[in-house]
Amino acid sequence: MSNWLTQALAQYQSSDSTDWLSAAREKSLQQLHNTAWPTRKTENWRYTPLACLERTSVAEPTNDAFTAESIEGLECIEIVFVNGKLVSELTDNIPGVSISLLSESKESAQNLFQKVKPEHHVFGLVNDVLASAGVVIDVDESVVVDTPIRLVHWQNGGESHVRHLVRVGKGASLAVIEEYRGDNPLVATQYAEYQLEDDAKLNHYRFALHTNQAMVVGGSHFNLSDRSELHSTLIGFGSLLSRVDIDINHCGEHAMATQNSVYLLEGKEIFDLHSNVEHTKPNGTTEENIRGIVGDEAKAVFNGRIHIHRHAQKTLAELNNRNLLLTNKAEVNTKPELEIYADDVRCAHGATVAELDTKALYYLRSRGVSEQEARIMLNFGFINELIEQLPLEPLVEWLQGELKRRFNDLRNQIPGVEAV
Amino acid sequence: MTEEIDKALARQYEAGFVSDVESETFPPGLDEDVIARISARKEEPEWMLEWRLKAYRTWKEMSEPEWAHVDFPKINYQDISYYSAPKSMADKPKSLDEVDPELLRTYEKLGIPLVEQQMLAGVAVDAVFDSVSVVTTFREKLEEAGVIFCPISEAVHKYPDLVKKYLGSVVPQKDNYFAALNCAVFTDGSFVYIPKGVRCPMELSTYFRINEQNTGQFERTLIVADEGSYVSYLEGCTAPQRDENQLHAAVVELVAMDDAEIKYSTVQNWYPGDEEGRGGIYNFVTKRGICHTNAKISWTQVETGSSVTWKYPSCVLKGDNSIGEFYSVALTRAKQQADTGTKMIHLGKNTRSTIISKGISAGRSNNSYRGLVRMNPGADGARNFTQCDSLLIGDQCGAHTFPYVESKNPSAIVEHEATTSKVSDDQLFLCQQRGLDPEKAVSMIVNGFCKEVFKELPMEFAVEAGKLLEISLEGSVG
Repeated sequence: MSNWLTQALAQYQSSDSTDWLSAAREKSLQQLHNTAWPTRKTENWRYTPLACLERTSVAEPTNDAFTAESIEGLECIEIVFVNGKLVSELTDNIPGVSISLLSESKESAQNLFQKVKPEHHVFGLVNDVLASAGVVIDVDESVVVDTPIRLVHWQNGGESHVRHLVRVGKGASLAVIEEYRGDNPLVATQYAEYQLEDDAKLNHYRFALHTNQAMVVGGSHFNLSDRSELHSTLIGFGSLLSRVDIDINHCGEHAMATQNSVYLLEGKEIFDLHSNVEHTKPNGTTEENIRGIVGDEAKAVFNGRIHIHRHAQKTLAELNNRNLLLTNKAEVNTKPELEIYADDVRCAHGATVAELDTKALYYLRSRGVSEQEARIMLNFGFINELIEQLPLEPLVEWLQGELKRRFNDLRNQIPGVEAV
Repeated sequence: MTEEIDKALARQYEAGFVSDVESETFPPGLDEDVIARISARKEEPEWMLEWRLKAYRTWKEMSEPEWAHVDFPKINYQDISYYSAPKSMADKPKSLDEVDPELLRTYEKLGIPLVEQQMLAGVAVDAVFDSVSVVTTFREKLEEAGVIFCPISEAVHKYPDLVKKYLGSVVPQKDNYFAALNCAVFTDGSFVYIPKGVRCPMELSTYFRINEQNTGQFERTLIVADEGSYVSYLEGCTAPQRDENQLHAAVVELVAMDDAEIKYSTVQNWYPGDEEGRGGIYNFVTKRGICHTNAKISWTQVETGSSVTWKYPSCVLKGDNSIGEFYSVALTRAKQQADTGTKMIHLGKNTRSTIISKGISAGRSNNSYRGLVRMNPGADGARNFTQCDSLLIGDQCGAHTFPYVESKNPSAIVEHEATTSKVSDDQLFLCQQRGLDPEKAVSMIVNGFCKEVFKELPMEFAVEAGKLLEISLEGSVG
C-alpha cells in the first residue's frame, strides 16, 4: 500500500463520523486492504506512474472564492463545488426531479452507491471510503428535463473526494455536465454513477480541464436498461496525473451507447483514458470514437475494451481511436481490446497513430489555402469533428472556445507549421 | 447443423499413435545436477554448462507469466523428465540404413518418407525424434554452398564461436520464464548459418516429433543469415496421442544481418487434447528475430494443434529500412486455447512491418490475438499496418483481440484494424445456391478468409495447411 493511501485512510479511520454510507465504506475499505497497490506491472496502470502521489507536496487550499464561468446562451442548473464542498443552494423546483446531498440518507441513493461502478477500480474504492461531497439526482418516470444539470468542481489545493449518483427513471430524459477544474498541486477522486432505467435517455458530458499540477483519478459509470440511450462526451486535458475510467454496462436489451472522447495534451501532461463496455444482453449497440492530439512531452494512454458476453447475440460494437503525435518526445499508447463470446455479432475496432491525411491537405492547397493554414485547419478539424455534432449549440461554441485556447498552445508544434 | 458441428468436432486426432522405440529417459525432476547430466550427455564444453546453470538460477527467481488469456492446471516442473534419447542412438548411425527401422516407420506413418522427400521435394530434413537429431540429410549439398545446417548440439562443438556469439543474443536468458527454462535444459534443435551473399539452395526443414511419455520437449533453434544472404526455413510438427499434458517450451532466434532475408514458416499440429482439453500439448514458445540494415524477417504460421498455445513470433527492426512481417492463421476447436500474436519493435528509420492475423474459433475454444507495435523515438518514417480478423463458428467459443500500440515518433504511422464476424448466411446462401454443399461452402469461405496468409507459405506447406484446416473444419458449419 502506498504512503499516500495509508495517510488518506488514516484520516478516515481517525474521524468518527458515521453516516448511512458507513457500512458500504467499511466493505470497500476491507477490499482496499486486500488489493495490491498498482505498479507498472499492473496491466491497468502499465503506462501511468503513480509515484507523483508520493512525491508531490500538496498544500491546503488557500482560496475558496470561485465563481463558475457561465456558458453563454445555455440555461442550466448549476451546482458548484469548491475544494470538495458544495457552495450552491440545491434547487427543488424542477418538477419530477429530486436533487439531494450524498450525505443525506436516501433510499434511491442506497440503491445506486457502488451499484454501477465496478469494484476493480482501486481509486474507486478509495472514493467509496472517502467520498464526502456529491449529489444524488433522481428523475421520475417519463419526466423530460429540458435544462441540463451542470456540476462544476473547482479546487486550488488539498484533497477532495466527490461522488455523484444519478438515476434516470423509465422513459425519462436528462442532460448532465460534469466539469472538473483545478489549480495548484491537488489530489482528487471524482466518480459518478448513472443508472438508466428502461427507455431512459441521458446526454452526458465530462470535462476534465485541470491544470498540469493536478493529480486526479475518476470515472463515469453507466448501467443501461432495456432500450435506454446514452450519449457521452469526454474532454480531457492532461495533468501530472489524470485518469478517467468510463464503464458502460448493457444490462438490458436494445440499449444504445455512443461515447466520444477528445484529448489535447501539452507540456509533460499525462492523460489516461480507460473505457470498458460490457454487453451482457443481446441487441445492444455501442459506438466509440476517441481522438487525441499530443504535443510537447505529453503522454496519452488509451485502453478501450469491448466485452461481448456469451448470450449477447446481435450486438453491434465499434471502437475507433485516432491520434496525432506532434513531437519526438510526445507519446501515445493505445490498446483497443475485443473480448467476444457470441458468434452472431459484428464488432470492429481500429487504432491509428499517424500524420495528417495528405489527400485532405492537397485538397485544401488546391483551393488556395496556405500549407500552414491547411495544417492548422486539419488538426483542429480532427478533434472538432466530434464536438460540432453535439446537440446543445451554446455548449458546442463554449467547448470550441476551450479547445481552441489549448489548441493555440499546440499549433506551433504541428509538423510543417512554423512558430509565429 | 449443430449435429454436424458436433460430429465434425468429435473427430479423433489422426496422427495419434505411439511408436515403441526404447528410449533412455531421465527420471522426472529438475535441479543443477540434472542440468549437469544433460550437458554431460551432450558432451558439452564447460562454457555451455555454465551458460545453462546461469539460466537455471535466473529461472528459479522468475515466476510463471499469468497475463495470457489461457487457463490450465499449474505445471509441476519437478514432474517432468528433462532428457530422453532414443536408445539405439547411443551408437550414432552414420546413414539411413543404420537408423532404427521403427523410427523410420514412424516417419512414414506421418507421411514424411525421408528418401522420397530428399528426392522429390529437394528439402533437407533435420528430423528431431524427441530430443536428439537422428538423421541430417543433404549435408553435402549445403556444405558446397557453405551453408551450415546441423543439430545445435553439434554446432556447440564444431562452431563454438558462432554459437557463443549468437546464442541468447536475440532472446536473452532472462527474457521470460519459459525462455529461461529452455536455456537451462534445451536438448537439441537446429543451427543454421548462411554465409555472406549466399542464397540457400533449398528450403530447410525440421520436423519435430514428441514421442516419450512425460518428457518435455525443449527445442532450441538458431538461424544466422549473414550479409546479403537468404534462407527459407520450414518447421512442422505433429505428435502421438497421449494422456498427460506435455510441456513444450521452445526458443527460436533469428539473426538477419545487413541486406539478409529470413523466411520462417511453421505448421503446428500437435495433439490438442480430447474434447475436454485433457492431454494436449502445452506450447509455450519464444520466437524472435533481429533485423539489421535493409534486412527482412517474415514469420508465417498455421496453428491448429496444442491444447494451450502461448506464442508471439517477433521482430526487432534495429537497422534502417528493415522489414518485419507476421502472417498467422490460428484455428482452435474443442477446448483448445490459443494466445498468439507478434511484437514489432521499430528502432531504425523507415522500418516497415505488416501483421495479418486470422483467428478461427470453433467448439468451446478460446482464440486470442495479442500483439505489440512499438515505434521508438528514432523510428523516423516507420510504418506499420495490422489487420486482425476473427471468425466464430458456433456460440460456445470466444475470439479476443489485445493489441498494444505504442508510438513515440511523430512521423511514424501505425494502423490497426480488427473485425469479428461469423460465416455469413449470405455467403453460405450464395454458395449453396450455386450447388455447393454446406461443407464445401464453409471450407471455401474459410480458405478465402485465410488466403492472405496461405499465399505467404512455401508451396509444400500451403498444401498441408489447407488440408489441415479442411480436416479440422469438416462440416463444422452448415
